Amino acid sequence: MPQSVINDIVSAPPAHNGRISFARLDGTETLTLAELYERAGRVASGLRRMGIAPGDRIGILAANCLEWVLLDLAALRLKAETAGFEPGKFRPDAELLARYDIKLLFSDRPSEASGVVPVAEVRLLSEQHDDEPLPVVHYGPQDTTTVKFTSGSTGTPKGLAVTAGSIDSSLHAVQEIFAHRPGDDLFVFLPLSLLQQRYWIYSALRHGHDVTISTYEAAFATLGRVRPTVVMGVPAFFETAKRHIESRARRATAASCPEDAVKEAARRLFGDRIRYLWTGSAPARAAMLRFFDEAGLPIYEGYGLNETCIVTKNHPGASRAGSVGKVLAGKQVLIDEDGVISVRSDHPVNRRYAYAAPGDSERVFGADGTVRTGDLGHLDEDGFLFIRGRADDVIVLDNGKKVIVRPIEEQMKSDPAIAECVLFCPAQTDLVAVVSPAALPADTEAIAARLADTNAGAEPDERIRRVVVAREPFSIDNGLLTSQFKPKRKQILAAYEREIHDIKEGIHAA
Amino acid sequence: MQPDTETAVRENLSAVLTTEIAPEDLDPDLDMAGSYGLTSLNKVLFLTSVCEETGVDLGHFTEHDLAGMRTLRDVAAALSRYTDKAV
Repeated sequence: MPQSVINDIVSAPPAHNGRISFARLDGTETLTLAELYERAGRVASGLRRMGIAPGDRIGILAANCLEWVLLDLAALRLKAETAGFEPGKFRPDAELLARYDIKLLFSDRPSEASGVVPVAEVRLLSEQHDDEPLPVVHYGPQDTTTVKFTSGSTGTPKGLAVTAGSIDSSLHAVQEIFAHRPGDDLFVFLPLSLLQQRYWIYSALRHGHDVTISTYEAAFATLGRVRPTVVMGVPAFFETAKRHIESRARRATAASCPEDAVKEAARRLFGDRIRYLWTGSAPARAAMLRFFDEAGLPIYEGYGLNETCIVTKNHPGASRAGSVGKVLAGKQVLIDEDGVISVRSDHPVNRRYAYAAPGDSERVFGADGTVRTGDLGHLDEDGFLFIRGRADDVIVLDNGKKVIVRPIEEQMKSDPAIAECVLFCPAQTDLVAVVSPAALPADTEAIAARLADTNAGAEPDERIRRVVVAREPFSIDNGLLTSQFKPKRKQILAAYEREIHDIKEGIHAA
Repeated sequence: MQPDTETAVRENLSAVLTTEIAPEDLDPDLDMAGSYGLTSLNKVLFLTSVCEETGVDLGHFTEHDLAGMRTLRDVAAALSRYTDKAV
C-alpha cells in the first residue's frame, strides 16, 4: 500500500495551496490547508493543556464547523481518539460521556454536565501559541483513530473503533479511481460525525484539492455559489434536487427545448463545474441516477456498510447501470450459495464492535474481520456488483417460495402518492403492505391503482393482498424512519400490528 | 401575512411536495413536516427557493431560525420582515 495518508497528514504541513471553506447560511470562511494544519496543532497543544493524552477519547457533538475539523485533526496529532456524535441523535449529558468513555465532550448544544466544553472555545485554542512542541506520532495499521456509530434501525447505536489501516486503504482506493486533484473542490454537507465525510478533508490535505464543509441547512443555498466539482450526497438529497430541477425546468420559458431547460436548472443548483456526484449510504433509484446522467451531471453509486467502509463504487472508468460498481482495491466480495454477501478486507475497519450488546459482534464479524452484510447480490461476468435486497428482507412463504420484497416495495414507491412502502407477511401466505402516504389526506385512489398495477406484473406469490395506509407519513420524528431516511421495519410492524393482522383492514387487491 | 410573500411561499411549498397540492389549498397553520410530508432536505430547498424568488437573503436567518419555521405562516412571517413592504 502507498504511504499512509493518516501518517502523512499528521507529520508535516501540506506543501500545496489547497483550501478549506466553511459555508453557513450567513457566509463562508476560507483558509488554506496549511493554515488549518497550523491551527490544528495549536488546538492539539490546548487539548494537551486540558489533560488530553494519547489514548484518551474526546467526543464531538456539533453541527459542521471549523471547530469540528480542528478538533478531529488535533486529536490525530495527539494520537487521541475522537467519537463523533450526530446532533439531534445524542444529548450532551453525563450519561453519554460515561457510556462511551469520553474524557471531554465538545458541543454546540447547551449542557451543564461536567466534562462538556463549548465547541466555540476551540477557535480560541487555535489562536493561542504554545512553544512546547507536539510529540511525534505514528499510526500502525491496527491503531484506531475514532469511534463511529451505526445508524441502525433499533436500540442503542453500536460503536465501532476504526483502524488507521482501513482509512488509508479506503482513501487510496478512492483516489485510484477518482483522481481528486488541485482544481477540484469536494462539497460536504452531511454530518462530520460520519467518518466518511471527514475522509474528504484528509484527502484534501494529502492531495491538494479544495474542500468545502457546509452546514446541512446551507447546502442548497451555497452549492451554486461555491461551484464545487464533486458533491458528496445520499439518494434523498439527490431526489430532492431532482424534483427542484424538474420544477424549475417546467417553469422556464426561455429555453429552446426541455432537455436544455433541465441542464440549465441543474447548473443553477449545482454550479457549472461539476465533475461528478457521489451517492451512497442507501440504494438509489435507477430513474434518479438516469436523470442526473442525462442532465450532464454524472452520478456514481457505490456500496458499503459502516462495518466495511466503501466496498464497491461506480466511477468514470467503470460504471454499469443497475450495479453498485466494481470491487475496490483491498476489498473482496464473497457471495454464498443463498446469495448473501460477505466482505473481506486487507485492512478491516475492525474485528468487533467497541460498544454493542453481547453477541452483536459475533453475528456480523468473522474471526479475520470478514463482515456478513446481510445483503443479497451477485457479481456479473465483468465484476460489477448488483444488490437485490437484504437477506432479512426475504419473506419465506409457507409453500417454500422466497419473496425478495425490495423490488416490490420499489415498484409501489415509484408512485408519487406513496413515500414509502414496507411489506410484511403476517400469516406466511399473503403479503400485506404498509404504505406511508406522500401527504395527508392520503390519495387512496392512486394507492389502489398502484396496487393493481404492481400486482398485474407480479408472480402470484409476489402479489400484495392488502395495503394498510399509515395514519401519518413515516418520519424521523415519529420514529419510523432512520436518520438516513430508511424505514424502520420493526417499529412500523409494532405501530401497525393490528391493521396488518386484521384481514378486514386496508385497501384490498382486486 | 403579506400577499406577495404568501403567494411565493405557497407556490414554492407546493412545488417541492411529492404529492400535488395546489398552492391555494395549503393550510397556513399545519405543520409542514407532519401534514405535508415535508422532509428536512425538502424544507431546506423550499426555503432556499422562496428566498431566491422574494429577493430575501437567506443569510438573514441562522440554522436555528430555519428549524423553528414549522408552518407556512411561520415562513411567510419570517420572510415578511425582510421584504420591502411592511407587514
